[in-house]
Amino acid sequence: MLAKSKVKVMACSGMGKVYGLMAREAVLQTVQNLCSEQAETTCLAYIVTGDDAATAKIVDQPCITIDGCPAMCSAKSAAEMGGDIKAKFKVLDVMRLHKGAKPGTATELTEEGWAIVDEIAAKLCAEVAQIQSEGR
Amino acid sequence: MAEELKIGVVSCSGEDCLGGTISRLATRKMLDEVRPDQTVTICLPLYIAGGQEERMFAKEYPTIAVDGCSKACAKRATEKYSGKVNSVVFVSDIIGDELAEGPALSTRNLTAEHAAMVEKVAAVVTQQFDEILSKNVK
Repeated sequence: MLAKSKVKVMACSGMGKVYGLMAREAVLQTVQNLCSEQAETTCLAYIVTGDDAATAKIVDQPCITIDGCPAMCSAKSAAEMGGDIKAKFKVLDVMRLHKGAKPGTATELTEEGWAIVDEIAAKLCAEVAQIQSEGR
Repeated sequence: MAEELKIGVVSCSGEDCLGGTISRLATRKMLDEVRPDQTVTICLPLYIAGGQEERMFAKEYPTIAVDGCSKACAKRATEKYSGKVNSVVFVSDIIGDELAEGPALSTRNLTAEHAAMVEKVAAVVTQQFDEILSKNVK
């Protein structure tokens, strides 16, 4: 039986806003701690170089993207490079559930920011499990 | 009075290696502490995804790419869409390939050793920054 390939979980890591950092940290929490056996990440900037080795990492692979803002750069780039996008998340959607929260800055998160990151990571991990269980 | 020159600092922010985290933090340091009034950080994913403001800025103003490793993704993207960068700083040249290509680091686990790496990289970016400034008075 073929082993299931790991789900690629990719963040925008946007530089200008705290939401980019939150997306990045949620992905790291997911692939390093919560579901390291089922998920992995790869550098978004590398994927879009179009290098053969980079493309091979993503073409037809199950992907989940998490973007900081509505520009959805991670989702767009992963799709353009041939990733099979199974789910797209947006930090801003989660922030709507935390009105008035102060998550920190694009450099550093507050405790409140970290708590929201963990919440996002749990959602990412649940989606990874769902994708793997359905063999999607 | 001469207009104060802005310089774009483009970080690769690689999600899959330590160099990416260090490049991101060194770039944020330029923006937050070192040259806050003159640094413009360009959001690389937005830039790649077609951000016109970012591309125009990088065409018209000097840029420094800060890349975590020798794949040079930030430099290559900037040169593909906007033109030659004025300088490129490789984190791997400063902290070594092995460390730079090691596992990505969450800022939750940042140590004094990592902070020292960020300082070193930011110092090199600052040196490049000031050289560019000294040659360009817009």
